Amino acid sequence: MSEKTEQARVIRLETPLSDDVIRKLSVGDFIEISGTVFCGRDAVLPKLEKLVEAEDHEAICSMLNGSVIFHTAVSPAGIGPTTSNKVEIEGSIPALSKAGVKIHLGKGALHPETVAALTEHNSVFAITPPTTAIFSEKIVSKKVVMFPEEGMEALYEVEVKGLPAIIAIAHGKSIFS
Amino acid sequence: MIRFETIREGVSRCLVKAGTTFRADQIEAYKSAVEKETNRNARWVLERLLENAEIAEKNGFPLCDDTGIPHLYVEIGNELQLPQGWLAAIHEGVAKGLRTMPGRPMAVKGDDIERVEQSQGLSEDPADVLPVPVITKPVPGNRLGVTVLLLGGGPEIRAKTYRVFHKRSIKTVLDEAASWMLTEVKSLGCTPSILAIGVGRSHTEASMRMIEAMKSGDLRKQSMWERKITERVNEEKAGALGLGGDFSVLGTFLNIGPLRASGVRIVSVRPCCCVEPRRATVFFEPDNTVTLD
Repeated sequence: MSEKTEQARVIRLETPLSDDVIRKLSVGDFIEISGTVFCGRDAVLPKLEKLVEAEDHEAICSMLNGSVIFHTAVSPAGIGPTTSNKVEIEGSIPALSKAGVKIHLGKGALHPETVAALTEHNSVFAITPPTTAIFSEKIVSKKVVMFPEEGMEALYEVEVKGLPAIIAIAHGKSIFS
Repeated sequence: MIRFETIREGVSRCLVKAGTTFRADQIEAYKSAVEKETNRNARWVLERLLENAEIAEKNGFPLCDDTGIPHLYVEIGNELQLPQGWLAAIHEGVAKGLRTMPGRPMAVKGDDIERVEQSQGLSEDPADVLPVPVITKPVPGNRLGVTVLLLGGGPEIRAKTYRVFHKRSIKTVLDEAASWMLTEVKSLGCTPSILAIGVGRSHTEASMRMIEAMKSGDLRKQSMWERKITERVNEEKAGALGLGGDFSVLGTFLNIGPLRASGVRIVSVRPCCCVEPRRATVFFEPDNTVTLD
């Protein structure tokens, strides 16, 4: 079948995600995520990184184990990916992967050292276009879970049904290279 | 005479339209790109962006959660008498539109230093995202036209205003502008882009011309030079969302202003993101007829 006419197979994922599920994902897979997704971006991810690197990190790591972090603000306007290769966001990916985050969801290419960190911790990077209107139909509920002082940049827990994305980096391979 | 309230309500509706709908030329360009795109992943992105536009228009949802910074381009008929406070009415319309859409509450609180450091948090009121000072232009006739453009943050990171030594060649100027965008479009993330280019005598004027390019550009009416720039950037195959493919750029909007005797032209280029330029125009007649375009 030619690339032009090939129909994409969609892999449906439910959070929390196991290591086995992540191992089976490949670059270019179309996925739909359902369940709880954490949402955070520039302001909050470095704060979260500090928490998972602190000595008493068991509770936060338990919360993040098998999770998805969507690089987005959460506001009455909706949600949508911000660029993931901003220093504050990309810099948090290795530590948060180590803490149990399995899918980092955003947009833009990541650096080779981040690709290596994702591989080391069996985590992947997925991307999605800024289709806020589509996402608005997929949101079931949302609530602030940490750092409310950051407003729309607080850490949110959002329940979604069928959030669409493409696996961009997995197991040492990148869709951008 | 046009009433204060007429302007306020019209501008409010105009802002919501700008933030929630694709124009006809955008839809046409996306449909054509879906048809021609040879990269499976990029085609999936283009299809999602079209679906997103349909849902946004149907439900009145913002196209993107970064609802942008309002920029206003006002055309005032030379024969028109404006009501007292007409500019305040436009600003009130922007505030009402931002609360209605709603816009993203992303205004940074605090004094000068606190705002730079973002140390006092964000306002919860979308209307605190104040519009950039208004660009005005006299036009023939007796009506008022207000164009609302909503400019997102991603393109602002990658836009550039700088001088080009033209060597008496338009090709030299536009090749240079296109070369700036080869790397920027790749890293934009939200492609396909539309390149907005302004050429002027100063940095301010070049930027204003770039805004005018976004205000007036039409993907169905591309000049030879606009097509050449688009083709040059598309040759890099960055594709939608940087996934590779044929459509890194859907088109180019070029606006050239008056120029000074000099070996230098000031060029402003902004790689608009895949939902931009988000724009709508509202016209007001002296009998208070309002037309939303």
